[in-house]
Amino acid sequence: WSVCSSLPGGGGRGLLLGRQRIILQHRFPGDSHPHRQQQFSSLEDKPQFPGASAEFVDKLEFIQPNVISGIPIYRVMDRQGQIINPSEDPHLPQEKVLKFYKSMTLLNTMDRILYESQRQGRISFYMTNYGEEGTHVGSAAALDTTDLVFGQYREAGVLMYRDYPLELFMAQCYSNVSDLGKGRQMPVHYGCKERHFVTISSPLATQIPQAVGAAYAAKRANANKVVICYFGEGAASEGDAHAGFNFAATLECPIIFFCRNNGYAISTPTSEQYRGDGIAARGPGYGLISIRVDGNDVFAVYNATKEARRRAVAENQPFLIEAMTYRIGHHSTSDDSSAYRSVDEVNYWDKQDHPISRLRHYLLGRGWWDDEQEKAWRKQSRKRVMEAFEQAERKLKPNPNLLFSDVYQEMPAQLRKQQESLARHLQTYGEHYPLDHFEK
Amino acid sequence: MAAVAATGSRLLGLRAAGAERRWRRLRGAGLARGFPQSASAGHAAVQRRQVAHFTFQPDPEPQEYGQTQKMNLFQSVTSALDNSLAKDPTAVIFGEDVAFGGVFRCTVGLRDKYGKDRVFNTPLCEQGIVGFGIGIAVAGATAIAEIQFADYIFPAFDQIVNEAAKYRYRSGDLFNCGSLTIRSPWGCVGHGALYHSQSPEAFFAHCPGIKVVIPRSPFQAKGLLLSCIEDKNPCIFFEPKILYRAAVEQVPIQPYTIPLSQAEVIQEGSDVTLVAWGTQVHVIREVASMAKEKLGVSCEVIDLRTIIPWDVDTVCKSVIKTGRLLISHEAPLTGGFASEISSTVQEECFLNLEAPISRVCGYDTPFPHIFEPFYIPDKWKCYDALRKMINY
Repeated sequence: WSVCSSLPGGGGRGLLLGRQRIILQHRFPGDSHPHRQQQFSSLEDKPQFPGASAEFVDKLEFIQPNVISGIPIYRVMDRQGQIINPSEDPHLPQEKVLKFYKSMTLLNTMDRILYESQRQGRISFYMTNYGEEGTHVGSAAALDTTDLVFGQYREAGVLMYRDYPLELFMAQCYSNVSDLGKGRQMPVHYGCKERHFVTISSPLATQIPQAVGAAYAAKRANANKVVICYFGEGAASEGDAHAGFNFAATLECPIIFFCRNNGYAISTPTSEQYRGDGIAARGPGYGLISIRVDGNDVFAVYNATKEARRRAVAENQPFLIEAMTYRIGHHSTSDDSSAYRSVDEVNYWDKQDHPISRLRHYLLGRGWWDDEQEKAWRKQSRKRVMEAFEQAERKLKPNPNLLFSDVYQEMPAQLRKQQESLARHLQTYGEHYPLDHFEK
Repeated sequence: MAAVAATGSRLLGLRAAGAERRWRRLRGAGLARGFPQSASAGHAAVQRRQVAHFTFQPDPEPQEYGQTQKMNLFQSVTSALDNSLAKDPTAVIFGEDVAFGGVFRCTVGLRDKYGKDRVFNTPLCEQGIVGFGIGIAVAGATAIAEIQFADYIFPAFDQIVNEAAKYRYRSGDLFNCGSLTIRSPWGCVGHGALYHSQSPEAFFAHCPGIKVVIPRSPFQAKGLLLSCIEDKNPCIFFEPKILYRAAVEQVPIQPYTIPLSQAEVIQEGSDVTLVAWGTQVHVIREVASMAKEKLGVSCEVIDLRTIIPWDVDTVCKSVIKTGRLLISHEAPLTGGFASEISSTVQEECFLNLEAPISRVCGYDTPFPHIFEPFYIPDKWKCYDALRKMINY
């Protein structure tokens, strides 16, 4: 009797035996209908457990995780920029591929100058994107410009591809008066509402369940948009990542999870981050359609993201893309990676397998680029970056009153009192504060 | 009246109404038959499960909001949620077990009425629930998240404190999650022990960017919850679970709002100011009667309602008048929100004080099970503290 009364939908019938019809719902991979109805019958010998759809087996055998021969890595170009399988060539027009190249190289130039500016004490902190430019640009190019982006901190190329001006990158890094973020965050914590790039925050992986929620809202609004959520292989260890994957699958959200597996989380190599087959192998565990790609192959990243986007929106289901790449630079200006990895290892990636070189080889092969254009572009991009940089440096910092606003939509009375208290304090002690650098 | 009935229901094994009654019948029958008769004189009588430590005092029927209906606290919450989903097509409700109606029945009927895309279960993961809710709000829709017990809100602490509270500020107002409201059952319930009784408002009081709101009654709950949902800042709404069935009063059917960050003087007085929130308001109300009857002391009773940002002016205005302040909450004494009130009042009203500010709170222990009657800041402890303050 206790069995019957506690079954969901079993009602209050109270009979032990006899056929009770209970509907089980499953998602079958590859099945276009996400739910399948299976009729419960206590007379059959098949498993009836609500928790799994599987057959019985009478031999004791454990499943061995396969990390020697893991999920294969999809690529379109070889390391010399040659298309391997012509049917996988996305056949993008010259203009678009040049935009890829220029976005990646402009980002690289900006990185070098801003990294250096931190070394010189001009900005407080910086993070470069060396080696991962392909993951940013390939994926950004495959999205609609209005698809919402949640990032971690090493995705500046997405903004670059969306034509975020150098002036605003610099403004945020300098926390100057032009910063859209009003000077509140450390450098590289970019955000842009106009370009649908949600402001970066420092805690890792927190953006993952948030991106899922945004995707759910987009689905309800019939927006035909996807949300993309970037994170590193280290952040994927956080509980928020697990939460995000599980929610996306159970709530059927149009989201692309894009993991940049660059080999290191500061000094922690992947061998100390996980023991399974990377992040892609976790996807099926959650019911996510998953793929692993060569992140240094901008066309592979593009193709995978493009197809994932098409299906995520059409089928309202999440996709997981693990883009294998390598973090050529230090974690940040606070890190010296020679403490935990060899210069040889870094040089290999810089010289032998770099997304920018591979694309350049492709461009040269197509006759869409040459050394002269390369030289001219290098000069031009450097000039643009230097100009923006010099201007950013000369600007004032925002008005100190902006310390107090936007905590809530409206300023609470007690906070206004604190603001007034600072104003009075500065009237007497202002000489001890760097007021000259701030807007009045 | 309804207080005893409320404590009779087992929190942890809560099921749909029918199954619940069946369980109780079966268990009760088995125990009675097999149970040994107690011996004669010499043995203490078997302790009965306790009567509640408070008596819910309904407020007079509100006149200005149209037709009212008798509702208990969980029904007033349902009513508020119903109004919200009717008015705002983007609003969705989600959390553990909300689809079938919720473990406290706050969401009964809403899934059938509004659809499974608007009222739905999530996996068992508080950090996911809040993170997901933030994302919905960032996308511009209204998110009403439920955390099954306030005791389980801590996995979501990072998302609440580091993300929700700071979203607008850190983005320079480019993005915000103002349309997020988190609801959660809160406070002692008679037998909840460590993990079904907590009042964690003090943890969140230290977090600029969110609002924390706690109602004392069904009428207050509906109005305050509607204000939280409409408020353009992320809000946490704690619902005193012991009042879900124990508190019954007339509540308007139509939507209405009660302003946030406004304390309410529910009884005027001249000798002592008593401040509390949630269930404890009813305790101090009774203490005010006791003080009048036994000591001839006139108490001003204030329901704080919003913990942050809190209504400093109303409390200070009262203390300037009375000269004495007693604050009471179930949460532990050290670092409890009474310390914030006490500190601010002594700054603002120092020369008006006739006695040290008194805090009558839970002890600095986890919330115990069998010792609950000794742990809680009941009316006798509050009365005694008040008496000492008067005689200071």
